[in-house]
Parts: sequence; C-alpha cells; structure tokens
Amino acid sequence: MKKTHIVGIVIIAVAIAIIVSTYGNSSTYATFAEAKESAKEMHVVSHLVKSKPQHYDPIKDANYFSFYATDNKGGECKIVFFGTKPQDFEKSEQIVLTGEMVGNEFHASKILMKCPSKYTEQGGDMKEFSSVKKATAL
Amino acid sequence: MDIQYVGEHLLPGKIGQFFIVLAFGTSLLSTIAYYFQTVKDKNDTSWRQIARWSFRVQSVAVVGIIASLFYIIYNHYFEYNYAWAHSSKTLPVEYMISCFWEGQEGSFLLWAFWQLVIGNIIMRTAKTWEDSVMTIIGLSQVFILSMLLGVEVLGHRIGSSPFILLREAMQAPIFKDPEYLIKYIADGKGLNPLLQNYWMVIHPPTLFFGFASMVAPFAFAIAGLWTKRITEWIKPAIPWALVAVMVLGTGIIMGSFWAYEALNFGGFWAWDPVENASLIPWLTMISAVHVLVVYKNTGHSYFTALFLTLISYILVLYASFLTRSGILGETSVHSFTDLGMSGQLVIYVLAFLALSIVLIVFNWKKMPFTEKEESIYSREFWMFIGALVMTLSCLQIIGFTSVPVINKLFGTDIAPPLEPVAFYNQWQMPFAVVVAILLGFSQFMKYKKSEPVKFWISTGVSFVMSMLITAIVAYFTLFNGLTTIYGEGFKNTNDFNWMFLVLVFAAVFGVLANFTVLSDAIKGKFKLTGSAIAHIGFGLMLVGALIAASQNKVISINTAGLDYGSQFDAKNKRENILLWKNEPMKIDKYTVTYLGDSTVGVNTYYRVNYKAFDANNQVSENFDLYPLGQQNPSMGLVASPDTRHYLTHDIYTHVSSVPKKETEEEEHKPHEGHNDDEEYEKPVTYKVGVGDTIFFDEGKVVVKGINKNAQLKDIPLTSNDLAVGLMLDVIANDNNEITPVEPIYLIKNNAVFSFAKKMDEFGLKFKFVNILPKENKFELVMLKKPGKQKDYVIMKAIVFPYINLLWSGTIIMVIGFLFAIARRVKEFRASEKTTGKKAKQTA
Repeated sequence: MKKTHIVGIVIIAVAIAIIVSTYGNSSTYATFAEAKESAKEMHVVSHLVKSKPQHYDPIKDANYFSFYATDNKGGECKIVFFGTKPQDFEKSEQIVLTGEMVGNEFHASKILMKCPSKYTEQGGDMKEFSSVKKATAL
Repeated sequence: MDIQYVGEHLLPGKIGQFFIVLAFGTSLLSTIAYYFQTVKDKNDTSWRQIARWSFRVQSVAVVGIIASLFYIIYNHYFEYNYAWAHSSKTLPVEYMISCFWEGQEGSFLLWAFWQLVIGNIIMRTAKTWEDSVMTIIGLSQVFILSMLLGVEVLGHRIGSSPFILLREAMQAPIFKDPEYLIKYIADGKGLNPLLQNYWMVIHPPTLFFGFASMVAPFAFAIAGLWTKRITEWIKPAIPWALVAVMVLGTGIIMGSFWAYEALNFGGFWAWDPVENASLIPWLTMISAVHVLVVYKNTGHSYFTALFLTLISYILVLYASFLTRSGILGETSVHSFTDLGMSGQLVIYVLAFLALSIVLIVFNWKKMPFTEKEESIYSREFWMFIGALVMTLSCLQIIGFTSVPVINKLFGTDIAPPLEPVAFYNQWQMPFAVVVAILLGFSQFMKYKKSEPVKFWISTGVSFVMSMLITAIVAYFTLFNGLTTIYGEGFKNTNDFNWMFLVLVFAAVFGVLANFTVLSDAIKGKFKLTGSAIAHIGFGLMLVGALIAASQNKVISINTAGLDYGSQFDAKNKRENILLWKNEPMKIDKYTVTYLGDSTVGVNTYYRVNYKAFDANNQVSENFDLYPLGQQNPSMGLVASPDTRHYLTHDIYTHVSSVPKKETEEEEHKPHEGHNDDEEYEKPVTYKVGVGDTIFFDEGKVVVKGINKNAQLKDIPLTSNDLAVGLMLDVIANDNNEITPVEPIYLIKNNAVFSFAKKMDEFGLKFKFVNILPKENKFELVMLKKPGKQKDYVIMKAIVFPYINLLWSGTIIMVIGFLFAIARRVKEFRASEKTTGKKAKQTA
C-alpha cells in the first residue's frame, strides 16, 4: 500500500469521527421535564414568568439570582443563576438557558436573552451572560 | 400627493447613489473588456485599454461613495437611514470612521475598496497575467458592488444602498409630517458603545483587507486553468497567498485583542461563530501556502494546492454569508441582522463554486498527477501532512459553526455545543500538537530526499533539549512557578489536563527546531529566514494562548455570599464581588477599594484602586483601574474592562453590575417644583385586591386588607371625610421579618389626598391613590430607591498570566510573513524576467 493511501485512510477516519461527534452526540433543545429526566446539561428555550418572584439582592450575594420561567411546552420551573442579574431582564422576550436540573430547580450556567430592540422592528438584540467562565475547562 | 419635506439634504445622497451606479457599471464594463482581451487577439490591446480605464473610473467612484457617506455622517444628516442608525451628534470624529463598518452596507463598501486596491496593484505588476486575473477580480467586484445597489429589478430589490432615506427605510406615521426631521429626529441612534474603541477603528479594515486579498490567489488559480497555464499560476500566486494569510491573521488577532480589551467575556477567543467564520478561510489558506510551496519545489501535490487555494476564497464568501444572512442569530451574539440579501449572498457563493468546479472538470486531464511517491525522509511529505491536519482542524470548526445552516436546510433542531470553548479546545488541541511537532522536525529535512542519520541526530538533539526547556516552562506556567505572578500563597486550582504539557512540549520543540534553522539562515542561507521566524512566532503564540486561557484565574472570588450548600459551592464559584465605596476589600494579594465614579459623555468610569503590600508592609504595587459601564438605553449596561499590563501578566477588571443611574432623559425633564420622589426609581402602579402579592428583589409585599378607620395625626376628620388605610405587610426574603405599612387615602372637602408611607429598610415608598369599588380593587403606587442608599459596584477581576507571549508571538509571525513575501516576490520577478528573455529569443 502506498503511503498516500495510508494517510488518506487516516484522514477519512478522522473526518468521520468529526462528523459523528458533531451530529451524533449533539443535543437538541429540551424542556424542563426532559432536562429533569436526563440529568445532563441542556439548552432550554424559555420565557420569563413575570408574575412570579425574582430574587436578586446584590448586597447579600452578588452571584445569586433566581426567577421563574416556562419552557416552550408550558412547563414552569424555578431557575437559579449564579451570577449577576442581567440588566433589563424584565424586558426579555425569550431566554435560552444552559444548565441542568438539581432537584426541582434548574441551575443555569448561561443565559442568552433576546430583548425587543427599541428601534428595529424585526429581530432584536441578543445578550449573553455566563456565571462561571468556562474557558479554563479545556 | 408628494409631501414637501423640510430640512432634508438630498444632494449628497444623490451624488453617492450616482457613484454607486457608476462604480457598478464600470466594474461590469472592465470585467467584460478584460474577458474579451483574454480570449481575443493578443496584438490588439484596445479591449485592455477600455478595461483599465473603466477600472480606474470605478476606483474613483468607490472613493466618491465613501466620501459622500462620510460627508453625510460627519454633518449629522439623520434623514439618511445609515447616519441615523449608526451615528449620533456626540460621536467623536475618529469613531465616525467606525460607523462605516457597523452596518453591512459600509462593510461591503470597505471590502470593495480593498479589492480595488488589490486590483490596481495587480493591474500594474501582473504583466502577462493581467487580463485573465483582472477578469476574475472584476467579477468578484461586480458581485460586491451589487450588494450596495439598492435598486429594484423585476420586483426584486438588489442590494441595500447606504444612501437610503430614513423615511424610505421605515414606515411610520411621523413621516407624514413634512417637518418630521426637525420635530422628531433630534439625534441618531448612535454607534454601539463596544465599537467605540480604537481597536475597532483598525481591526475591521485589516480584517476586510485580509478577506479581499484572498481573491488574488483565487484569481490566479482560475486564470491559470482558464488560459491553460495549468501550473504557471503558482509562482505569482504564492506571494499573494502569503499576503492574504498575513493580513487576515493580523486582522483576526486584532479582533481578539479588541475582545480582550473592550469586551467583558473575560478572554481573547470565545469560539463564537463570527470569530470562527474568519478563522476558517485563514486555516485553509495557510494550508494552501504550504502545499503551493511543496508543488513549486518538487512538482508534487498539484491538485491539493489548487483545491485549497480555490476553496479558501469560497470559504471567505461562505463566511460572509454566515455572518451577514442572520442565520447565526440563535447561536451568536454579534452577527449582523438580515438585510434581506441572503439570496444574493448565496448566489455569490454558488457562482464562484460553480466556476471553480467547471474549470477543474475541464482541465482534469491536463493536471499533473505524479505517480512517484515522496520519500518519508522528505520535507514535502510532512508539509503536505501538516497542511492536511490544518484542513481537518478547519473541517471541525466548519462542521460546528454550520449547525444553524444544517438546521435550516434539513429542518433539524440541533443545539450548539453546551460549552463551546471547552468543546472546541478539546478538539483543536491535538491538531495544534501535531502541527507544532510537524513544523519542528520537517525543518530538519530537505526537499526530495534527506539523510536519515543526520535527520535523526538533529531531531534527537532538539527533542532532548525541548524536554528540558518544557520542564522549565511548565514549572513557571502550569505549576508552582505561577507563584511568581500570584504571590507566595498561591495554590493552583485550575483544572489540569495532560494535553497542556504535551502542547507546551510540541510548541517548544517547534520553536527550538526553527531557531536552529534561523541560526543557519543568519550564517548565510537567507532563504529560510521568513518561514523560520513565522514558525517561531506561531509556536510562541500557541504557548501564550494555552497558558493565558488555561491558567487565568478569577481573583474576585466572593467569600461573603450566603451558603447554599456544598453542592452549589463546588460547581459555582462566586466570581463577582461587591465593593462598597471607600471600603477596602482584600482580594487575592491586593487590597481593592472602589473610589467612586466619573462620567464622561455617555460613559461612566468606575475608579478602582489596587494596592499590594510586601513583607515589610510597604506598598509594592499601587494602581487605579477605570472599568467602564455605560447605561445604554437600548442595550442595558454595557461594560468594558480596564486592564493593568505587566510584562508577565495582566490584571483585568470589569464591572458586572452597578446601581442604576438616572438616565439623561429623566434628568432633563422639567422639574415641577422640588419633587420628593426624585431619588426613587420610576413609580410603578399596581391594581391590587386583598391577598395579592407584589414581589421586589429583596422581598415581597402582601395586601392584608383595608382599614376603614384610619387615623391621621394632624388632620381632624369629620363625618363627611373618608380616610382609608391600605394594610400592607412587607416581608423580607432572608429572615421573613414582617414590617406593616399603611398608606392612607383621604377624601376631605371633596378633595383627594394620598398620604405616602415609607419603608426605609428596603428604600420603599407606597402611595394609595385610588379605590376602584366596581372591581373591588385598589390602586397602589410603589416606589423603590435604586439599589440601596450606599454607592457600590459589583465587579470581576481576572489575572491572565503570560498573555504577552500570545501577542508577541503573533507579531513575530507577521514579521516572518513579511520576510517570506519579500523572498517570493523576488522569485516571481526573476522568473518573469527569464520567461521574458526566452520569449524574446524565440521571437
């Protein structure tokens, strides 16, 4: 066998590994109920429940913020975010949460919120907030 | 009926639009003329004259577009959508330039400008290649300028003009008023505060110069296939490929420096889709450079060289489709929003893809495919492998960045990776290791065939030396040596991964091997200087990036927070701390004090003092940082860090939350006497019934009931008067302590009074303003003081060790590219001379 063939085979193997890991392992957006079953980290697309309490007291703890949200199927859950409360949080239209269920609470490590932009009619501004900087976890 | 609008300046827009049409027309003309010059009789150069002149006119026209747009922005003509959307009256002149690339139209304009610069250089220097290469560049220019046209053809709008008026861009009732401009449009929306940074003035032009220069090697390759000079295009293409890689690389790293200096995600690279989009073509082009050099030296790997050169430009177009079509909206925070041009972008990508495929298919049989195998002991074999590894790493990035495209095409619902940074790093680290090792030992080989014994000796020596150096480097960067930066008491709590050590070793080996080559180069073999320097820079960059990304440490860990149980604490380090004004706090080895804020224009700077003490209690370090927080009406709090730079490390600080300030709008409201409510946030009115609850950050308010026999201290009540108290319980969240409050509603002598009550602990004030008997409800106004009375700031501080390795590595790499470009240009000139002589001799 020629060396180039061997190289070719190795390359194809790695390429397949990449594709499999990209699309085979990937998660889809979940609901709170699914997140509870799987006990893994997940993305949940949700909406803020404006009638339920939000808790953020920076003077006591600048890194604890809790609120309630409903997922796309209407399931409601208490969310705990270990970071500062994003500004204009009340105005958010949609919140994409990354995190996992711990008991009956969803512990979010990342909040991606979509706000209605004051000026543009379509679309809106996206903002991302992370509690713990994960760059270290290589 | 047409409305006669007052106060509009329509002339600069008309001139600008004229220049757009002129530029588009002449770009089309020059492309067609160059096409005919290429396929027609060579002795008749009339087509070339037309092509050159129309290209020159086009250059003037594009400069004209830029000048008109700048004139509009500079004079604050907010009747133009672009000026209104991207600038404001308070914007300093230097940032008016940044307005150009905040919007898509302006960034296309920039792209067109750079492509013209490259076109003009090629027109002068390409000699025999001028006609065919300029046809391709012209074609690309036609596509880009069409994005700016903003003209309707057969019901489809082609492009989006930067000279469109606000009233044309938007449908709103105010535009029925002829005096809308004077009455309603006082100021523009302003430039995104994050773009108001000097790096944003130079990063986008560099990046777009890089994107634009990618067209040159592509055009040479296409021209080569088209004019049947199947292999000759490689020599002139190499210097351009190097220019593209160097400039795009510089642009990317400037972007990451901007992210580090001005954005608050706490790092220099986040694997954001927009960042990836610029990295993808860079990776394929750097692979292309290596394979082009392989072909030039040995005649091997022709097709790979061709393929990589072509795909790089197609990926530039794909990347601009990703960032401009709005398709990344769900996964990226900072891509452009859709301007309705995605269709046009897709056509652009597909046109150039089709052109490449057709030409490859037609010329397939003429391409040189070598049957002979390369020796394992040859440089070209390993350069080729290295290029393939980089292409694979690129494939991984494309695969993940394209998830939204796959979702759209196949209707799937795949979520992006949960931890993109960790995920990409995990994949990219092994690729980086292989590349670093390869760029090391292949330098000990010669083209075609090298002496195995000699090779093993030099490699072995470098290998052993690298082991030693790696041990030293690793001690100072990954292990206990970090105490030199963090202070004696430091314990490294960062996650450790064996891959770090391997990568440090690989990079050290690469750097060392290239130092050997460099020392030879200084002795006289100048040819390899460029590659040696560039590789050394790349190796240092890898080490710097690895250390800064993996060993940075948040030093503002909050230990004062509530205890939520050990399970919480383990996972969630509290990375933000609250600093009261003038109350020093110890974080890491520093005593940090928040000293107050100052406001300059729209920006508020929070002055934070850092002090460190040595063993004798003497101040050893003392500096102030001014992280910025801007209360932006449309974006909320925009925070930008401030960083203290040391040779060995940086201390990086940004505010994550600050007490809300009164916005300017409210300040400028006419004061109706002195208002007691000024220190409160905007009042909120609630319609409540008995038993209802109102929540606020620190607790809740429960409506207990109505007190019909409310008494007021100083006001005697008669039987005709009505005084009602609303009994409220304020319940604190933390200890459930109940504080009753009773605001009173009074009707006396047919006048209505409302007696507000305060609840000072939480800075609350209640007003009972109305009774709604029909609904059995009450109207309650609640006011809350912002934060609490005292001034504070919540901030995050991170130490980045050895980050200067990363920056200096990139600078060294760019210097290496400069050397390499100089060498390849010389080679091309020399080859042109010899072919010129041969042509003369045969004639």
